[in-house]
Formats: sequence, structure tokens, C-alpha cells
Amino acid sequence: MEWAWLIPVLSFIAAPLIVILGPKLPGKGSFLAILAIAAGFVIFWAVLSGFLGASPDSSHCETSADTGSLVCDYQQEWFHAGLASLDQSVTLTWGTLIDPLTLAMLGLVTFVALMVQVYSLGYMKGDPRLGWYYAVHAMFAGSMLTLVLADNFLLLYMAWELVGICSYLLIGFWHERPAAKEAAKKAFIVTRIGDVGLLVGILLLWSEVGSFSMSEAFNAATTGAMSEGVTTTAALLLLLGAMGKSAQFPFHVWLPDAMEGPTPVSALIHAATMVVAGVYLVARAFPIFQAYDGDALLVVAVVGLVTALMSASIALVSVDLKRILAYSTISHLGLMMLSLGAFGYTAAIFHLLAHGFAKALLFLGAGSVMHSTEAQDIRQMGGLIKVMPITAIVFSVGALSLGGIPLLAGFWSKDEILNAVSQNRNPVFIATAFVVAFMSAFYMARAMFVVFFGQLRQGLDHAHESPWLMTAPMMMLAVLAAGFGLINFNWPGAFPGFGGLIYFHEAEDFHFNLWIGVLSTVLALGAFWLASLCYLRERISPDILRQKAPWLAVVVENKYYFDEVYQWAVDRLVLTVSGFVALFDRAVVNDVGVNGPADTVRRVGFVLRLHVTGHLYSYALAMVLGTVGLAVLWWLRSV
Amino acid sequence: MSSLEQTALFLIIMVPLLGAVLTMFLPKDRPGDAWYFAIGVSVVCLLLSLYIFVSYDYGAGGFQLARSFQWLEAPINIDLSLAVDGISAPLILLNGLVLLGAVLISQTIRTRTRDFFVLLQALGAGVFGVFVVRDLFFLFFFYELAVLPMYLLIGVWGSSTDFGSFLRTKEYSAMKLFLYLIAGSILVWIGILALYVKSATLGTPTFSLEDLGNLAASGSISEEFQTWVFPLFMVGFGVLAGLWPFHTWSPDGHVAAPTGVSMLHAGVLMKLGAYGIIRVGMVLLPEGAENWMPLLITLGTVNVLYGAVSAMSQTDLKYVVGYSSVSHMGYVLMGIATLDPIGVGGAVLQMFSHGIMTALMFLLVGAVYDRAHIRDIYVLNGLFGRMRVNSFFFAIAGLASLGLPGLSGFIAEFMVFTGAFRTYLPLAILAVVGAALTAVYILRLLARTFLGEMDPRWEHLTDASPVEKAVGGVFVVILIGVGVWPEPMMRVINVGVASLPGI
Repeated sequence: MEWAWLIPVLSFIAAPLIVILGPKLPGKGSFLAILAIAAGFVIFWAVLSGFLGASPDSSHCETSADTGSLVCDYQQEWFHAGLASLDQSVTLTWGTLIDPLTLAMLGLVTFVALMVQVYSLGYMKGDPRLGWYYAVHAMFAGSMLTLVLADNFLLLYMAWELVGICSYLLIGFWHERPAAKEAAKKAFIVTRIGDVGLLVGILLLWSEVGSFSMSEAFNAATTGAMSEGVTTTAALLLLLGAMGKSAQFPFHVWLPDAMEGPTPVSALIHAATMVVAGVYLVARAFPIFQAYDGDALLVVAVVGLVTALMSASIALVSVDLKRILAYSTISHLGLMMLSLGAFGYTAAIFHLLAHGFAKALLFLGAGSVMHSTEAQDIRQMGGLIKVMPITAIVFSVGALSLGGIPLLAGFWSKDEILNAVSQNRNPVFIATAFVVAFMSAFYMARAMFVVFFGQLRQGLDHAHESPWLMTAPMMMLAVLAAGFGLINFNWPGAFPGFGGLIYFHEAEDFHFNLWIGVLSTVLALGAFWLASLCYLRERISPDILRQKAPWLAVVVENKYYFDEVYQWAVDRLVLTVSGFVALFDRAVVNDVGVNGPADTVRRVGFVLRLHVTGHLYSYALAMVLGTVGLAVLWWLRSV
Repeated sequence: MSSLEQTALFLIIMVPLLGAVLTMFLPKDRPGDAWYFAIGVSVVCLLLSLYIFVSYDYGAGGFQLARSFQWLEAPINIDLSLAVDGISAPLILLNGLVLLGAVLISQTIRTRTRDFFVLLQALGAGVFGVFVVRDLFFLFFFYELAVLPMYLLIGVWGSSTDFGSFLRTKEYSAMKLFLYLIAGSILVWIGILALYVKSATLGTPTFSLEDLGNLAASGSISEEFQTWVFPLFMVGFGVLAGLWPFHTWSPDGHVAAPTGVSMLHAGVLMKLGAYGIIRVGMVLLPEGAENWMPLLITLGTVNVLYGAVSAMSQTDLKYVVGYSSVSHMGYVLMGIATLDPIGVGGAVLQMFSHGIMTALMFLLVGAVYDRAHIRDIYVLNGLFGRMRVNSFFFAIAGLASLGLPGLSGFIAEFMVFTGAFRTYLPLAILAVVGAALTAVYILRLLARTFLGEMDPRWEHLTDASPVEKAVGGVFVVILIGVGVWPEPMMRVINVGVASLPGI
């Protein structure tokens, strides 16, 4: 386990190597990135087995009082800010923290990154900037893995910003396209707004605790050393960062645009890994959120619920395959937040993993379709199962799993979330959550039926199945998207079940609430059935809603006008203020404040120099006038 | 004591000074000679500054490599005393690096080449002098030696720009810069004389920083006197550091100056101001400093936000970088004003980091201007297509400027935030917001100028020359190196900061 730091470091080493040596290597050095992440995946298994064999007595390990699970922490001094002997100084460390939550994330990130990087060999084949693509991928993998391994908030923040810049670089990978360039900028700046909150939150915790260590901050929150006001404020500030990164309402606007990047990037960064960093942060800092009866968690739940409902409704009407998936991602991230907000810690992480596998699969499937048809609009697709059967089947597995069809992974994880919400939050939450569940099944079914089933569209005859470099990773992900739910169960003697590993304070047994299970099954099957009536058999016109409530359709299709409002705010407020300040600087500070005195001096000099005329008679006149003046003065005084 | 140990500080002033004098005697008709000669001189300076930085024993701390030469005896008492501590050592290294870079990049100077390098070396000598002397008289002397050549360097070799709605001639910019800095120096000189007279009333008159520091530490300088005199230094030196609202000389000066001079100007010269506030203001007038710091940190915060917001709507590439310097110097002023070991340490690191980063930016902007003969960001576009290395370096400098972790700017800015957070919570939050605004104007610049579809009219542009690649590459490596492993820099800075009074 003490070698866990190697997992990110290998990828960090690969990145500059590819940039420098890449042009001379076969495949522009792409294999270096893949080797690094594959080695990381192998080390992950070694670390996992090491952790399962560890006990609180092992060196560097203990049972955390804040989460109740085993934690192993390895630290390495990095630098001192302020002389170490002074009171007011702080020592920064590279620290890796290994606990079940970290392990779950490590497994997800290394596996999906490996799959996506292999897939990209096929998808990005022949791209002139392939080396750069893989270098940034390696950089991203290193940063994301550092993020989940960090044992202190500062290191987490650094990794947090680095994944942000990698996301920026990959969204803007085809920067010659104006949309990609703008989307990259938007993504970075919107998330950066959230990051202001995150950094202030981290500094607030530092000023209370005197260190950036997570465990010390958690301790202060749970033991009451940190007051209720500060704890809740810190939690809300951290949440702000999480909302930016996880594209929660009202910061969600960047994620759909991020689809301008290459599709494998969307699969890895904007579905399975980076965007769940926000959920991870809330889970990681759960002791802070949950302290003092968890007031902050109510906010988390509301944010999650609003996000889930809003984006699911947009996904219903979107016609761009990648954007449907993007809104679906936002919606599922909202569900994870809702789950955390309803004290469903285990359920949230379980759904994070199940969704990660399924959504990565769906994006890779969408990429396979786009690779072959060069279309992105689902209205131009149809019946593709006839020409690309493997893609169609694995995509359907992902769609069914995420739609919540029983026995697939997504069913179990969604069920756990609904369970937690029904127990810990008021009925409005669970009712809305069921609506979201129905919608998410419906839009998945819609995408699946429209793209792959029915009549093969004209002009798509040339479409073909993708090469094995692309299909093999999809098939592996499909296995997990289908069967990952199995680890939910308690296998006596062999495995304690997911809730026995990842839990907050109390190990959770597998539980199944009959009415929730039945209701969600009915909703999911109903949604698929309804979607098949609409889009497959065309018994019901999908336009029926548009006819009944045109205003609603318009509002939803315009994504509730968020982009327009933000655009207005930027153009009318930010740029106006900026233009005003720049003008102020030139016209007032410079022209009045600086040139003003200068001009005054010049003008005074100009006037004063007039008296030095050089003409004798003017001096004589001045003398006469002066004498007369003095005489008059003298006369006046003597009178 | 080896002989180098005894003479290093003396040499680092004398080498460029003698270099400047000798350059005058080089043949006039062979401008290349002056360039090669200046390279030789600045390589020696860089080696000396490396030696000084590396040989500084951070375990022992305090002032090292000390040497003193008597100049005027009692009753006037002026000595040329030299020494280096944890605050000046990184700045000496910074000047060594930027001076060599600026000399190398000035290969393109074609008119009156010899005179140019005379002035550039004199400027370098002045900067080194300020960082190594321990005597107020000579500190002021070298300060002026660093500032005066600026007027000619901009006025003669600079460039005028017509912005349509207004015209900025190089003469205007040079004159404005000069008058501003001279006004600042007058305040500083009054302050120095006040201290000298004060020391005379307390015993022996002295300009020695050490003796005056001891007087301050013993408490014999009244708080009232300190509170009256400190603002002279705060504003006087602050002008050179770009303190708001006395900053307008700086963007105009940057824009008008030729590339090499912009690099030295923004990279090193502005740091003299901040250094002066620490070395003279904070050390000699600690109680005065304490009373005035709330104002300084407020103005520093204004610098950060005002500079960033102004930079957002500039259309000239160099003005964006110029206003970004105003904004980033705000972090330095904020850090100093925290009077906290982390905050002041962050300020010193920011001086080093910003020096390298902004020199790199001006270098790259100059390279674009040399080739495209235009700096309008609405006209330039897609330069990445033709200038790959140049654009890549610019992106790294930009990312360092917006505080991306892994690059030196992040460490410095984060330390400033940390130092300010406990005492000045609202200002610290505003400063964090300022860092987010930096992202807006840097990404806007990158997107408009370097990324996107390239206009066919830029087909003829060539990528960075070998000299530009070499200098830029070294700067990029330093930005990454300090960002990933700041300890070698921080252990020196920490020792220097810890010895300041009031910390």
C-alpha cells in the first residue's frame, strides 16, 4: 500500500515523455500513456489486496473515528510555508490516504481510463495531434488519481485544478472549431467560479484547524472543536466547488457544451471520472457535512433533486445523441448528490460506480456510432443494429442498466438511492425522485430505440462495425454495467457486500424494500414500453406534448434559457464593468490624474513666461506702474 | 573564506558596471560585438548570482557573504556594506536570469546597439546593487541607477502606438514613467534623510541599515516618528511596485518599451519597489508598518481586482500583460502587508515567480510583434498554427499567471491567501476572486490570439527562434520546477522572512 503513490506518478511521468519523445516514437508515444495506466491498474489490485489484509494494528493504519472504517495514511514532507520553528507556519505534505472510498475511486478511474485509452487508439487513429491527446490523457489520469488519493485538502485542490485544465485542453482539442474553443473556455471558467468557494472553504478549515489535513478537520467538526456556524459554512463552501465540478444546478451549463471534445474524452472525463469529483468531495468531507445534524446536507439534497429533475427533462427532448447522454449524466450526478443529501452514503458511491461503468459504455457506444456514421443528430439515425450489431448490443446493455431494468447494475444502485431518500427525507423528495427515475428510463429507451432499432435509415448503408480496439473495451464495460450489481449482495464467507466495505460509521447490510423495488421496476418497464410505442411502433406521436403544452416544450427545448441568461450577464454586466474600469483608468486616472497636473504645470508655465517679453518698453512700463502703485499705496496709508 | 566568498557581492555590482563602461569603447560600426560582450557580462552575472543563491546557508540564516568598504568617514558615515539574506538571495538570482534573457533577446536591436547595451548593463548593475547593499545611501544610489536608464531605453528604442481613439507615443510613456518614478524617489529620499537625522539626534548619524535596524529594534525610534515616515516609503517605493492609484506609468511603460526592456522592467524593476518596502519600511519602521498595513493591503487588493478587470477589456496584447502585472504585483503588496510569515514568504516567492512569468510573457509577445507587426488581439488569431513553441510557452506562462497548481504562481498566491485569511478575511476572499478573474482574461487571450482557425495572412509567421526557444524553455522549466518542488526556494525565503521584525 505504501506504493500507492506510484499509480498517479507513473501517468505524470508518461505525460512529458510523450510530449518530448512522442514525435520519434511509434504511435506518437500513445503506448506510454496506456502502459502507465495499465501499470496503475495492476498496482491498484495490489493495493486493494494489501488493504483487505490490513488491520488497525498495521503500521500507518487505524480505524478512523470520523468514518468508522479503516484508513491508511502515508505522508511525505513537501515544503514549509514559513519557518518550521515558528507558530504561524504550515508544513505541506504529499500524502496518500487509502480507505474503501479511495479504493473504489481508484478502481473506477484506472479501469475506465485504461478502457478509454485503448478505445482511443481506434477512435483517434490518424489524428495529427495524437501524441498531445495521449499526453493530456496521461496528465488527466495522474491528476484524477492524485485527487482521490490526497490526504489533505491542499493536495486535493491542486489535483482538482489540474483535472480542470486537462478537461479544458481536451474539450478544446479541436480548437480550430469555434464551438470547441468556446466550450473549453466556458467549462474552465464556470468550474473556476465554484472553485473560488472550494478554496475559500479550504482556507476557512485551515484557519480553524491550523493544518490542511483532512482527518484533523473532520475531527474538529465531529468533536465540536469547530463551531456549528463555521462547520456549516465550510461545508457549503466545499459544496460550491463540488457543484461546479459535478455540473450541478446552476453551474450545469458547461457540461453539455463540453461534448465538443472527442467522444472518448466525454466518456472518461465528462461522464465517469472528473465530473464525479464533486460527489467524491462531498462523500470525502462527509464528516463535515454531517456534523451538527447535517444542516448542510439538506442543501445538498435540494441541489441534487433540482438538478436531477431539470436535466432529465431536457434529456427527454434533446436530439443530439451526445447531449442526451450529457444531460443524463447531469441528472444522475444530481441523484448521487440527492443520495448523499439523504444520508445515503453507500448508495451514492454505489451509484457513482455503476453509473460510471454504464455511462462510459454509452459514450463509447455513441462514439462508435459517430465514428461510423459521422452523424450526431439522432433524427438522422435508425436501425443501426443491422450494420453495427456489437455496438447496438452493448449500448442497449448500458441503456437498460441505466434505465433501471431489474437485475442490471443500475437497477440495484438506483434502488439503494430511492431507499435512502424514502427513509430520510420528506415525501416530496421521494415522489420527485420517482419521476426522475421514470424520465431517465424513458430518455434512455428513446435514444436506444431511435438510434439502433426500427428501419435502417437511408444513407446509413455505408456504416460499419468499429474495429476490435474499440469494441473490446466496450464489451468489457458492458459486462460491468450489467453485472456490477452482484457485489451489492452479501456472499457469506467470501464477501461482505458493498455496504460492508464502504459505509459511514455503520456497515450496511444489503437491504431491499419491496414497494420501492416493485414501483421502480414498474416505472422502468413502463417507460421502456411507452418509449417503444412512441419511437419504435410509432403508435403514439411524440409530438403530443408539444401540441398540448407548447410553452412547456419551448422552455424545455431551450434548456430553461440558462445559457441566454448567463450570456446576458456576461455581456451586459461583466464586460460593461470591465470596459468602464479600463476607460476610467485611461480617462480619469491617466488623463485627469496624471496629465491634468502635467497640463496645469505646462499652462502655468505658458502664462508666466509671457512676462519675459524681452522688450525694454514693457519693463519700463512695469517699473512705472510699480512705482505709481507703491506711491498710491503709501499715500493711502498716510491718509 | 575563499576569495570568491569575499568578493562575490562586490563583483556582481562591478561586473555589469564595468561592462557598461567598457561597452562604450567597443567599435561603433560593429553592433554585434556589443551584443556578444553583453552576453559575456550577463553570463558572468548569472553565474555569480547562482553562486550567491546556492552558497547561502539557510541553516545559519541571517546576513551572509558580508563585506564592508568605508567611503566617507565620520561625521558623515557612509559605508559601502554588502550582504545577502534569505529575501535578497532569490531576487538576485531572478535578476541574473532575467538580465541574461533580456540581453539575449535584444539581438534584434539594430539602432545605436552599443548605447543600448551600455544602458541595459547599467540598469542591471543598479538592480544588483539595490539587492546587495546594506546602506541607505548606496541603496538610493543604485535605486536611481536602475531607474534612470529606463527613460532613455524607452524614449529612444521604444515604440509608439496609435490606438485610433488616442495615441501613446514612446516619448509620452517614457516621460510619464520617469516623472512618476522620480516623484517616488523624492519621497524615499526624504524618508532616508529623516532617518539619518533621527539617528544623529540619537547618537551617531548613520545610513547603515544594520545600525538603523538595531535602533529600531531597541525601541528608541518613537512610534509617532515611525507613523509619519513609513508612508513616505510605502508610497515612494510603492510607485515602482505599481501601487494603485500610482500604477498608470506601468502599463504604458511596458507597452512602449522594447522587448528586452519590458522583460527587465516588469520582471525585475517592479520588484525593487516591493523589496524597498520590506527592507527599509518594515525593518526600520516596524511600528509604523503595523499602523499602515491595513491601508496597504486594501490598496493591494484593489490592485489585484482593478488590474484584472482592466486587463479583461484591453485589445492590445501588451496592455493585457501590462495590466496583469499591475494585478499580480497586488498579490505581492498584499502578502507584504499581512505581516505574517506565510503571507510575506508568499510575497517574496511571488516576486520571483512573477518576475520569471512576466518576463516570459513579454518575450513571447515581443516575438509575435516582431513577426506580425501588430498586437491587436482582435486581429491576431490562430497563431498556434504557425508558432507552436511560442504559443505553448505562452499557454504555460498564462496558466502560471492564473494560478494553476504545479506552476510557481499557485504556491505564491496560495501562501498570500493563507497569510491574509485570518486577519483580513474579506480581502483574502476578494483576492481569491481576483485569481478567478485572471482565468477570464488569460483564457480570452489564449482563445482569441493563439487558438482557433488561423487567418491565411499569418501563413508567413515563423516559430520562435533558437534564442527565444532557449530563453523561454529555461523560464518554463523554472516555473514548473518551483511549482512542483518549492522547497529549495522556500527554505531560503523562510529564513529571510523569519528574521523580519514584527513576524
